[in-house]
Amino acid sequence: MDAVAMYQFTQQSLPACKPVLTPAWVTTTFFLVGALFIPIGLVSLHASHSVVEIVDRYDSECVPDLFKSNKVVYIKDMSIHKNCSRHLKVHKHMKAPIFIYYQLDNYYQNHRRYVKSRSDQQLLHGLQHNDTSSCTPEESSNGLPIVPCGLIAWSLFNDTYSFSRGTHKLRVNRKNIAWKSDRNHKFGKQVYPFNFQNGTLIGGGKLDPNIPLSDQEDLIVWMRTAALPSFRKLYGRIEEDLNVDDVVVVNLLNNYNTYSFGGTKKLVLSTSSWLGGRNNFLGMAYTSVGFSSILVAFVFLLLHVRNPRPYGDTSCISWNRKSISS
Amino acid sequence: MAVPLNTGYATSKLEEPPSRHHPSAPIATQATRSFHRNGHCRRELLNRLTMKRFVYINDDDLSDDLYCDNRISNRKYTLLNFLPKNLWEQFSRFMNQYFLLIACLQLWPLITPVNPASTWGPLIFIFAVSATKEAWDDYNRYLSDKKANEKEVWVVRQGVKKHVKGFNTVNKAIVVYVLVFDRVAVEWEVSMAVQAQDVRVGNIVWLRENDEVPCDLVLIGTSEPQGICYVEGVIECPNPDRDIRRFDANLRLFPPFLDNDVCPLTIKNTILQSCYLRNTEWACGVAVYTGNVYGWLQLLLSIVYSLLLFLGNETKLGMSRGVPEPKLTAVDAMIDKLTGAIFVFQIVVVIVLGIAGNVWKDTEARKQWYVQYPKESPWYELLVIPLRFELLCSIMIPISIKEAFNKLKAYREFMVDDKHLDFVSLDLVKSLYAKFIDWDNEMVDLETGTPSHATNTAISEDLGQVEYILTDKTGTLTENKMIFKRCCISGTFYGNESGDALKDVELLNAVTSGSPDVIRFLTVMAICNTVIPMQSKSGAISYKAQSQDEEALVRAAARLHIVFVRRNANILDIKFNGSAIEYEVLDTLEFTSDRKRMSVVVRDCRSGNIILLSKGADETVLPHASAGQQTRTFSEAVDQYAQLGLRTLCLAWRELEEDEYREWSSMFKEANSTLVDREWRVAEVCQRLEHDLDILGVAAIEDRLQDGVPETIETLRKAGINFWMLTGDKQNTAIQIALSCNFVSPEPKGQLLLINGKTEDEVCRSLERVLLTMRITKSEPKDVAFVVDGWALEIALKHYRKAFTELAILSRTAICCRATPSQKAQLVELLKSCDYRTLAIGDGGNDVRMIQQADIGVGISGREGLQASRAADYSIGSKSEIVVGLDGNLVVVIGDGEMLMAGGDGDFVLSQGDFSKIIFAGPNYGSSVQFNSTSSFSFISGVSGTSLFNSVSLMAYNVFYTSIPVLVSVLDKDLSEATVIQHPQILFYCQAGRLLNPSTFAGWFGRSLFHAVCNGGGHGLVTVAVVDEATVMVDDQREAALFLLIGKIITGNAFQAIVVFVITIHAYAFEKSEMEEVSMVALSGCIWLQASVVAIETNSFTILQHLAIWGNLIAFYAINWIVSALPSSGMYTIMFRLCRQPSYWITMILIVAAGMGPVLALKYFRYTYRSSKINILQQAERMGGPILSLGNIEPQPRSLEKDVSTLSISQPKSRNAVYEPLLSDSPNATRRSAGSATQFDFFQSPSRLSSSYSRNCKDN
Repeated sequence: MDAVAMYQFTQQSLPACKPVLTPAWVTTTFFLVGALFIPIGLVSLHASHSVVEIVDRYDSECVPDLFKSNKVVYIKDMSIHKNCSRHLKVHKHMKAPIFIYYQLDNYYQNHRRYVKSRSDQQLLHGLQHNDTSSCTPEESSNGLPIVPCGLIAWSLFNDTYSFSRGTHKLRVNRKNIAWKSDRNHKFGKQVYPFNFQNGTLIGGGKLDPNIPLSDQEDLIVWMRTAALPSFRKLYGRIEEDLNVDDVVVVNLLNNYNTYSFGGTKKLVLSTSSWLGGRNNFLGMAYTSVGFSSILVAFVFLLLHVRNPRPYGDTSCISWNRKSISS
Repeated sequence: MAVPLNTGYATSKLEEPPSRHHPSAPIATQATRSFHRNGHCRRELLNRLTMKRFVYINDDDLSDDLYCDNRISNRKYTLLNFLPKNLWEQFSRFMNQYFLLIACLQLWPLITPVNPASTWGPLIFIFAVSATKEAWDDYNRYLSDKKANEKEVWVVRQGVKKHVKGFNTVNKAIVVYVLVFDRVAVEWEVSMAVQAQDVRVGNIVWLRENDEVPCDLVLIGTSEPQGICYVEGVIECPNPDRDIRRFDANLRLFPPFLDNDVCPLTIKNTILQSCYLRNTEWACGVAVYTGNVYGWLQLLLSIVYSLLLFLGNETKLGMSRGVPEPKLTAVDAMIDKLTGAIFVFQIVVVIVLGIAGNVWKDTEARKQWYVQYPKESPWYELLVIPLRFELLCSIMIPISIKEAFNKLKAYREFMVDDKHLDFVSLDLVKSLYAKFIDWDNEMVDLETGTPSHATNTAISEDLGQVEYILTDKTGTLTENKMIFKRCCISGTFYGNESGDALKDVELLNAVTSGSPDVIRFLTVMAICNTVIPMQSKSGAISYKAQSQDEEALVRAAARLHIVFVRRNANILDIKFNGSAIEYEVLDTLEFTSDRKRMSVVVRDCRSGNIILLSKGADETVLPHASAGQQTRTFSEAVDQYAQLGLRTLCLAWRELEEDEYREWSSMFKEANSTLVDREWRVAEVCQRLEHDLDILGVAAIEDRLQDGVPETIETLRKAGINFWMLTGDKQNTAIQIALSCNFVSPEPKGQLLLINGKTEDEVCRSLERVLLTMRITKSEPKDVAFVVDGWALEIALKHYRKAFTELAILSRTAICCRATPSQKAQLVELLKSCDYRTLAIGDGGNDVRMIQQADIGVGISGREGLQASRAADYSIGSKSEIVVGLDGNLVVVIGDGEMLMAGGDGDFVLSQGDFSKIIFAGPNYGSSVQFNSTSSFSFISGVSGTSLFNSVSLMAYNVFYTSIPVLVSVLDKDLSEATVIQHPQILFYCQAGRLLNPSTFAGWFGRSLFHAVCNGGGHGLVTVAVVDEATVMVDDQREAALFLLIGKIITGNAFQAIVVFVITIHAYAFEKSEMEEVSMVALSGCIWLQASVVAIETNSFTILQHLAIWGNLIAFYAINWIVSALPSSGMYTIMFRLCRQPSYWITMILIVAAGMGPVLALKYFRYTYRSSKINILQQAERMGGPILSLGNIEPQPRSLEKDVSTLSISQPKSRNAVYEPLLSDSPNATRRSAGSATQFDFFQSPSRLSSSYSRNCKDN
């Protein structure tokens, strides 16, 4: 700051712009906001609607009638075959790539105890990293450390899906579903699962001990914990278009236990737009904000026309009134 | 026995250089001293008990151990104790204890939701900032102490007697020769300069002109001709006390001078610490009381000996100063109070949430197999969840406080403000404000170049909250420069036409023609005083006087050809029309505030006649007129002059018979050496001589008000600030000044009520009458002031404290005359006890206690030394600044340099208003959004206490992102200075502090708590409802948010928090709900909203505001990009990913629009249709139109002729019965009502001091 500016600063006399909330200014602003937001909202809505989405909740349907009243026993019984098949009808043309998500509801991946139970260092460095105290209660089993340790990895989602259209099996690309940065920098290329799911308590899925963690993309996806108790995680991509009225048969293994806490499992097939998946919220919010702005602008305009208020009328100040009356 | 010295000796030159060790001379005194030394120590203790101390002059061996040294220490800390003491102090604040508790809890990994660094970082930062500030302040105190302590003081080390006279200065070795008798002169060699801290009791200290007096001294010699000198001996004086007006001691001389004669010493023989030696070439004194303020050794010792010994600062000033308490601002106090309440509330929330969490855990979480709650849990398991919530809620305390203050402001202004201020910023802001005061060019004293200085940086915001200003009079309101203006000599009025008697031809003619009345009048003017003429080499004569009145009279006499040329000890030389006349002063009957007159007895050397010359207040002189004389003309003259706002003095004389004088003289001598009731006895003796006076005439003197004082006071009064004038002056003077400087509004609006009385009964009655009147007039727009004198005040404070307090609350204006320093302090305390914010301003040592007692002390570093400004929180230079202040800006305080601080400058005032805005409004916007988001998040994380934000962002957000805009908002101005000057009333509305008085406190507190509950706790309450169903579904959350939204839409913050939260979780639902991303979206939303809120709430954008607001936003992205680029960080790549997503930016825009739209609409609506007064002024100012205000202050016309106002002091005959207790009680008013003039023209010249004669010696 040069000397003049410094002087102005110390004397608190910097040149200043003092905006006034005049009716014209405020009304115009609201109109402009409205004029800007409604189109954006409509575009967003359009984008959202252009997304084709098939959601299939399968958790209860995939339980045999025999076990309907006792789903937990069913899911915990390892001897029962968990095969299940679902028929999804495509109601609108879906352009590749079609994203396959599994959705869990009422699943608290954001629970404090859960979120904390991981060791980023171990994921990156494997057994070289000894301190896995943050992973309690899944840090070791049979006296040996677990790689990957912690509740998150331990509870890995392990339902599997395969898709076919008619007799033709759909090709599902399960590569590159995790963030590239995670694969490259968060999960070690030389780290192999060790002593995983060997304890007395088996959680979720198992891992192939011969594949390094950086290639275990299901795990990597799973370990990006969700902020909300209802979330979707990417399973893979179908890389061919699906046509209207196609019936996609899903063969799934219903392994994952959501029954004991009343959670739900859904399979989601969805295309994507520039705004992401199907989500009307932004579009609706934008249009409603836009409309409200215009409404507010009109109200203010009306108020101003019907009840113009002189600005800066100092005679309204009470002490001036007093001195008039006295 | 000491005798007055003759000038001739004192000025004669040194004949031979003295040797340092003089072998023979001291022997005699050594011998005699040893006599006194026996049992000295034992006796000393005894003497302390008997309230006496013996000071052996220049006897270093003995005194050293008995009395404390003269080290001054105002330091709070030493290097060793700084850390513990400072930490102790900081932790004695509840707020900090709380933070520490939280920070300690954070260390327990089981419960901490975030990295402990997010709490420890800010905590340490806060503490470091506070400690650094304290350390810096203390270091400055140390430096100034050091400067004072190491100041060179010349001390006499070897007592050597020699037949030499005069003194000489030889570089470092200074030799002082002080004369004792005409026979024997004593030479002291000042062997060295010591540091001020090493001065010991008994040392002889030698001072030069303009030196500061290092400790209390008994003067033994000065360069002045009439300077009195005493030889070695012992001074018998009372133990130190705090009464700066009394010092009754005796001096006993050792043989060979011991002749059983005791020299009386009074306060007149002393110079007190911290005074400055003025108008005197040199002076010599014996240290009797030395002082160190907080020597630790003394403190330690004093614990043991406190009952027996006086330790610590023993100087009069040091003792009368009292121990200053640390000053807490209104905001500080409120914060502490509120924190407690909110803490309790928080505990409730935590318990509720904790129970909810535990219930959820037991019913739901145990089913969530993936969480693996252990079947068996340790005993403290139940505590874990509540404690986690405690930590999460810990953000709530600062928030809620700010929130509460926000509401306070909203309450006041009907407007919700969103500025964030957290504790770090609070300290910084305070310091910045203090800096602005230091920097302000308009508060620099142009005459001396002294800038104003904020010593106490912690209380800046209270400046805007001042409700009472208690001001000293002389030197503060007035210039303390007297000018002789008119006179009335035996019935003839001089100076009435021209306004200046010195230019009145008639008077000049009368002098030339030698009219005896006029000559006698002028003679009294010239010699009835204690003035010392100083003749310079060129022959010009200047006068040095203790009393400005006397100086004015002597000067005037000189202009009228009766020139007081020289004072040689007792001989006064007068030059009249070329011929020299000599008078020998036989006795001086000194001025006291009770006698209100002074006289001298002189012998005319030509005729040998003995004459008594008197001057004094009319009421004490006129009654003693000789029986035959008509005094009516004179009392009329006094009335007339008083109405002109002049101080009046009656001059009288009487020729004495030789016998009469001789007889009286011996009585006088005897009275003068009594130790008991000396003052009273002397007064009684004087009374015997002052009778049958021949009244010569009345002289009228003008004491100018400081420039701009009336306007300033007017402005400040309009701003709702109440003025109390506390003065040592007499009632009439005080009232006159009050009238002339707008303390009291002119009739018929203004009314003065008098409380007086000498007995409890009288005071009680008078108090009750005044109270009654006050209550009656309360509803009327009347300006009622009460006047109380020191005596009545003493009684009122002692016995009728309750009634007096009520009176104090009712009355906007008060005049306290004849108030002692401790009474001044008591009044401040009284007002403070009613929860008013007080500002005390003064310039003299007698104001020190008041200044320290007040919430804000302003000291004027003026002619009366630096005591006041050293004790003060703000020190200001002298008068020019006021002028500048007034002309250019809203001013502020007043003063002869002496400003009142009300607005030192417009900005300042503004910044006060503003400041209060920031403080009170500053609703930690950021944190509350964060808190709300966090606590909302807690539902969806299963009430398990997961934090939505990661540690780094949380910490950075708290310390960084939110502080900078606040710092800049310091510079924000609601209104320009000009507008504020025109509408000082606006300040009144800015004083949120007013809402803090007890009557509104309860309601206010309830409200603020309610809002705090709504905002902070709302989620908690909702959580309870939600958790009841033991399901924490998103749908429930949506409902909860909706519920909150509707319920709390009034509170901007909750609303915006919900906007951020709701939008984030919906826009980032399902496949996007990755935790790091969601939290970053929410955080960015907070930042965007915050920037918008700060922008919309900023009134004036300077480059700094833009930098802070937008720069902050950019900094946010910059920092996050950097962090995102680090693979090791938790949020690696997050920010890049988000910035590539269109949905991120669309979400941000949505958050801003949805969050700000309602705020803007509401603000506009209020701004336009429910305008606050500030809004109207802002509009007026910014629309550029002329600002019309009927309440503005026009400069008071200064010409003499114009503007005759009808103000008068209440007169009994024009009042109804209720008004009886007015000034009719005072003899003065009776007299006045009998007089002819009922019309005053006080305002003909606002810069005039209107006053009847008060006294010839300023003692307030």
